[in-house]
Amino acid sequence: MIIDMHMHLDDVPSLGWELSAETCIRAMDEAEVDSAVVMGIADLPGGTNPGAMELIIDACDRFPGRFYGFIRLNPRHRDESLKLLARAVGELGFRGLKLHPVSTLAHPGEPATIALIQAAGELGVPTLFHCGDEPLTTPLSIAPAATACPDAKIILGHMGGYRHVDEAIDVAERHPNIILETSAMPYPEKIREAIDRIGADRVIFGSDGPVSSPALERQKVVRAGLTEEEARLVLGGTASTLLGVS
Amino acid sequence: MAIDALCFIGISRFGYELDAEVVLREFDTEGISTAVVAPMHPPHGDMATVNMELARIVRNSGGRFLAAVRVDPWDAAAAVEQVTGAVTEGGARALFLHPDEEHFRINDVRVRPIAERANELRVPVVVATGFHCVSEAVQVGRFAQWCPDVPVIMTNGGQLNISGLGQFDAELALRLPNVHILTSGVYRDDFLERTVKTFGADRVLFASAAPQFDVAYEKRRVHQVHLTDAERDLLLSGNAERIFGIGEVAR
Repeated sequence: MIIDMHMHLDDVPSLGWELSAETCIRAMDEAEVDSAVVMGIADLPGGTNPGAMELIIDACDRFPGRFYGFIRLNPRHRDESLKLLARAVGELGFRGLKLHPVSTLAHPGEPATIALIQAAGELGVPTLFHCGDEPLTTPLSIAPAATACPDAKIILGHMGGYRHVDEAIDVAERHPNIILETSAMPYPEKIREAIDRIGADRVIFGSDGPVSSPALERQKVVRAGLTEEEARLVLGGTASTLLGVS
Repeated sequence: MAIDALCFIGISRFGYELDAEVVLREFDTEGISTAVVAPMHPPHGDMATVNMELARIVRNSGGRFLAAVRVDPWDAAAAVEQVTGAVTEGGARALFLHPDEEHFRINDVRVRPIAERANELRVPVVVATGFHCVSEAVQVGRFAQWCPDVPVIMTNGGQLNISGLGQFDAELALRLPNVHILTSGVYRDDFLERTVKTFGADRVLFASAAPQFDVAYEKRRVHQVHLTDAERDLLLSGNAERIFGIGEVAR
């Protein structure tokens, strides 16, 4: 089972984003991806698309088994976000939390962010961070959150972007609750290195699609030269466990 | 056959290296006939020496490599003369500037004499782009105004940003008619497709930027983008032939 752990589904014309479920499905089919984690572009509550959550629920209903939702929240609205998280996971079937400090300007180590990550951990779902080269998103900026929430799974989306990949692997080596996600970062050999250093069960495939190609992103994993068992874990095995799907 | 508009040969001070024979074997596997090659920033820091060594490798490559002369603007007038010598006597087909590794700002007035000499010599300029504070796309755009008669080609789509936040500045720079981009490392299909649609397929060139990036993966990136066959041909070879005069090598 191939699972893409990082896709976007939203409708925010004011930002130029119109990412429909059908567009995601086309990209997934092109890459022979069975299922994908989908999240919005806009942060809730409020934000540029207050209906982002309903859009994901609708996509999950219309394409059963193809999509698993992550709720994208803004720690700046701490109490509302905690309530939304509990409802999304407890009642609406969401499988994780997405945090994007570039759009929320909330530092990964600040108390409101920690409270959300801890709540996600208590609900049994992982937190996916945008982890790239910008301030607030680098691996060392996120590391304090991993220390503060040792029982929560934290996924570093993009595993450090262009220039923080070595740092992401280093941080993951020192924090067993961190998992690296491969989307967009352009170095196949770093997937190999990450597996050698932290294990294939802590590196997961993602594409950041549909605007980046899941088919191409999958080839990055192929180029990394994995064993059959490593590839099974990276391309879906570990994701199945994280998402609680069989 | 494709043309790689930029890769690097030699040993870098910054911990990476690529041997000419090794990359040629990979080019054979990937259907790449020719490449524009630049030297790496050497451990000893002497650009004149690595440019001469690169020229020797290019001469022995049977036409598969074209040289891009690399200079350090902190060498001031000597850098300008290196450009002149490499182009007029050494046959270099491009100038390569790396603001991050040579620690200069691309739109610093001290770089202007190099830009103006490139313009006089009609030699295209490739700029390592997307590096914060030293080669942001709009900074490269300012540089491009100093050499308006030659193509200025930004690596990595003019950006190194995994949020896509560099796209806006890259598009601003692309409004200048002499600015182009390389496909190396660009993870967003929609950015490449939009650039082709908005600015034209003649403004985008395939490059691996090896060894920084993976040759096979970077070539596949161009095949994955949704383009017409004619557009893809321009990206993979037509634009490089025109800009670097690659047909002239065959003649």
